[in-house]
Order: sequence, then structure tokens, then C-alpha cells
Amino acid sequence: MRRIQAIAWNTFREAVRNKILYSLLFFAVLIILSALAMGNLTLHEEIRMTRDIGLFGIDAFGVIIAVFVGVNLLYKELDLKTVYTILPKPLHRWEFVLGKWLGMLLTLAVQMGVMALVLGVTLWLQEAQFDAPMVKAVWLLFVNVMLVTSIAVFFSAFSSPFLSGFFALGCFLVGRSVPDIRALAAKLGPLAKTVLETGCTLMPNMHLFYPSGAIVGAEEVSVHRDFVSASYLLTTTGYGVAYSLIVLILAMLIFRKRDFV
Amino acid sequence: MSDVVLRADDLAKTFRLGFFRKRIEAVKQASFEVRRGEIFGYLGPNGSGKTTTLKMLMGLVFPSRGRAEVLGRPVPDRRAKRRLGYLPESPYFYDYLTPEEFLDLVGALFDVKRAERRARADRLIERVGLSSARGRPLRKFSKGMLQRIGIAQSLMGEPELVVLDEPMTGLDPIGRKEIRDLMLDLKREGRTVLYSTHILPDVEMTCDRVAMIFAGRIRSVGPLSQLLTARLLSTEVCLRPGAAGLPELPAGARKSENPDGLLIDLPANADVDAFLRAVLAAGARVHSLTPRRESLEDLFVREAANQDQGAA
Repeated sequence: MRRIQAIAWNTFREAVRNKILYSLLFFAVLIILSALAMGNLTLHEEIRMTRDIGLFGIDAFGVIIAVFVGVNLLYKELDLKTVYTILPKPLHRWEFVLGKWLGMLLTLAVQMGVMALVLGVTLWLQEAQFDAPMVKAVWLLFVNVMLVTSIAVFFSAFSSPFLSGFFALGCFLVGRSVPDIRALAAKLGPLAKTVLETGCTLMPNMHLFYPSGAIVGAEEVSVHRDFVSASYLLTTTGYGVAYSLIVLILAMLIFRKRDFV
Repeated sequence: MSDVVLRADDLAKTFRLGFFRKRIEAVKQASFEVRRGEIFGYLGPNGSGKTTTLKMLMGLVFPSRGRAEVLGRPVPDRRAKRRLGYLPESPYFYDYLTPEEFLDLVGALFDVKRAERRARADRLIERVGLSSARGRPLRKFSKGMLQRIGIAQSLMGEPELVVLDEPMTGLDPIGRKEIRDLMLDLKREGRTVLYSTHILPDVEMTCDRVAMIFAGRIRSVGPLSQLLTARLLSTEVCLRPGAAGLPELPAGARKSENPDGLLIDLPANADVDAFLRAVLAAGARVHSLTPRRESLEDLFVREAANQDQGAA
């Protein structure tokens, strides 16, 4: 455990000392704060606007940071050859990958925590609350970001940063569009329908993590009302964690067989 | 306890590169043993397969053929790695860390407790002469300083076997001497050192035994004294001829002038005793007689030439 912890802490430290992440965080905060100005353009919908823009900012920048961190922090170890010093130590390769992943998650948790805090302060300035639906929504976005990170780590275990980023972002966009793809499949012929349905089953359904405005259990859910139930939160978290771990195990298997030339 | 701490048995590595999976035989055949308590030199020109062999021994690269054992266990074994220290070639470290932070990380990977990690890091920073730079990030370190912190991290687990890949490369003469002295200190402490290099004078000064690799194939393994002393190249006789002049020189001998008189270079098969008797009888005064044995450089060049002929 100490070894995994050491790798995770070092990964977090590396991310914290990376200026690009600060820039991304700065823009995220800027977008959240822009809700204050945008709210003034609406009629009595300031708080609704702040919540929507705030969650959009946390979602979009959370995913961008996840792809950036997931792709770069593992690839850099290979590119800068720091892995040559670390892997001959009494450490399993899977421990190294797990440690890197946990360090990335810690980084993302802190980043999303900061974004949520800024959103909370923005809402407070508008005399509104960062209430339970918002906490649930941010939690689901974090699970989503965890899944995106795992996918990015998986691709960077065998591919270049550009391709890894491209594939990870592609998985996110397709994953978010699963209900739309399913709706499209329903209108197509049997072969196309089967292909698209199979694709949707294999791809991570990331729409589950951003359900505001969607119909869940015959009811429309919204962060402006009760949002999702505790059981939805639990099953979706379970789905995200299980999918992440499967992808991470695949990354570990690839890493285990790899030559570090 | 076994006398052999590292064994490479018929190791080979073929890489497949590019779109057409072109075969590159980085190591064709490497077999050697490193014995407890010795300094073992792994020599070869650039691109001969030294680093790939060491990477196979460290579990960074999987062999295409053969097997390797480190400290009695097949590579890569975590229990063996606990007793092993490794410095990669041209080491790259986390440049945002200070030496203290970096050694603390390495210590944690060896499962060393925090207080002990601090104590070891302090000792090693002192030992490699980086006390004045302990709070500075590694990105501000010179090549020599990085090499020193690299050596320090390789010792963080208090290893029985220390493997150093090209530890002298890029160092100035003082830096090289410091690393040589450090290796000799490690030997005195009872540790075994294996290092790769192409800097031959360092090998002559430090190594008990060596292996030479050329174009991926090991050509010679053994103690330096055994590999070199068996081969007498020539005998140099420095003399001032007497009034009767010089007797006839043996076949293949060469004569040149030097400040003390003449320098006669007798071939290895010449009868030196007979020649000396003849020159003394002719009234010459002999200043010195030096058997010129094969140096490591001679051996290295000869093996490289053999390799080239074999390849042709």
C-alpha cells in the first residue's frame, strides 16, 4: 500500500506543479463566474442560469482536465524515461499504474472541489444554496471524470498522447450520446440497428452521469428540482466504478507485457 | 549463500520496429555471471547491446530467448528487486522534486518507514556530496549532479547488488574519479557492483572481472588479469650500443632512437635472453627491459576487429 500511495502522491505533486492545469482551472472558474453576468440578462432565472452554467463548466473542464491528466501523466513517465528508474524498484507494474491512476483521481477531485467551491460561492452571492441536487450532480460528474481518466490511461498504455487524447475524447462524446444513438438505431434497418445497439452496449454510457433534463424512470429529472434518487446515484456510481476498473485492469495487462526500450 | 549474485544465461533480444515489423537483433547471445563482492565491468562500444542486456536483467525488457537470475531469483522478482539498486543510462528523474523528496519517494517504494527514509536520504545526500543542493529542484542540477543523485537513489534500498548503466558518461575527470572511488567503497562494504561502460581506463582501475560484448554477442568473459596477461605483445629494450655496435636483430624487431640511445622492440616470439647476451657481449649498456603486455584497449580493439571480420 505504501508503494501505491507513494506513486499516487508523486503523481498528484507533479500535477499540482503543472502550470497548464492551473490555466485550465482558471478558465473553468471564469466560466462559472460568468454565470453571474449571464444571469443578469435573464428575467428571474439568475439562479437557474448559474446552476446550469456552473455544472456545464465543471463537466466540460473536468473532462478536459481528465483527458489531459490521464494521457500526459502516464505517457510522460515513458517519454522522459523516469519509468526506467521506478520500475526496477520492488514494485509491481500494476501497482505503478494503479498509483498513477489514484494520483490522477486525487488531482481531479481537488480540481473539481475547487470548481464546486467557486460555484457554491457564486450561488451564495445570489442568495441561493449549493443544495443536495447540486452535490449529487457534482458527484456524478466526478464518477464520469474517473471513467474518462481510466479510458485515457488505457489508451496511453500503448498509444501516443495525441491518439490517446483523441480516442478518450471520442469515447466521451459517443458515451454521452448513447440515448441519441439508440434513438437513431430504432429508426434504421435490422443490421445497422444491431451494430449500433452492440456499440452502445460496449461503450460506456456517460449520459447516465449528466441526466438533468432526461427522463429517468418515466419522470423528467432536473437539478432544479429533486434530481435523481439515492438508488440511481448508487447504481450509476457502481456502473462507473466497475467500468473504470475493467478498463484500468486492461491498461495494467498491456503495461505488464510492455518492453521499455 | 550462493557465490553468484547475477546470472545471464543465453539472453537474446530481438525488437520488431516500424510498420513492417523490421527485426533488430539488439542482443544475440549474452551469458555471464557476476560473483558476490566483485566489481564487474560490462564493456562494449556504443550500440553493442549493453543497455538492452541490463534492461533485460532489470525486468524492463523481456528477453526473446534465454533466462536471467538476480540474487537467486528469476527476473523480474520483487524479492530480488528489494536487494538491488539500479542506475539507468543518462538518468531522467522527476525534475520538479528536490533530492530529499526524490529519495523519500524511492525509499517508500522499498517500503522503508518515514523516519528511516529521512535518515538514509540525509546520509546518501551527504555521501554523494549534494548537501548544499538538497533543497534545489532536480531540474536545476548539472549532468554530474544528476548522476550523483542517481547513484544515491540506487543505494536507497541498501542493496547487495548495484547495477549502474554507463555511470561515467558525460562526467569530467573529477566526476569520474568520484564515481570510481564510490564503486570501490561499495566493494569494501561487501556489495557487488555491475556497471557498463566503454571507458576502458576506468575498467582497468576498478574491475575484478569483465565481459565484452560486440554487436550483441559476448566475446570474452573473465578476470582482467587472465584476459590480458596471457598475451605478450613485444619486449622493449632500451640500450646504448657499445663500441662494437649492435649485433644482428632478431626477425621482426624494430629499432628507433630515443634520448637514452636506442629502443629495440622485439616481437613476442623473439629469444630475449639470447638477444640480451649478444648485446652485452658487444659492450652495450642496457637501460631498461619492458615486456609490453596487451592492454585492455588492445584487447578491445582486437575483439572489435575480429567481430568486424566475422560480420564480413
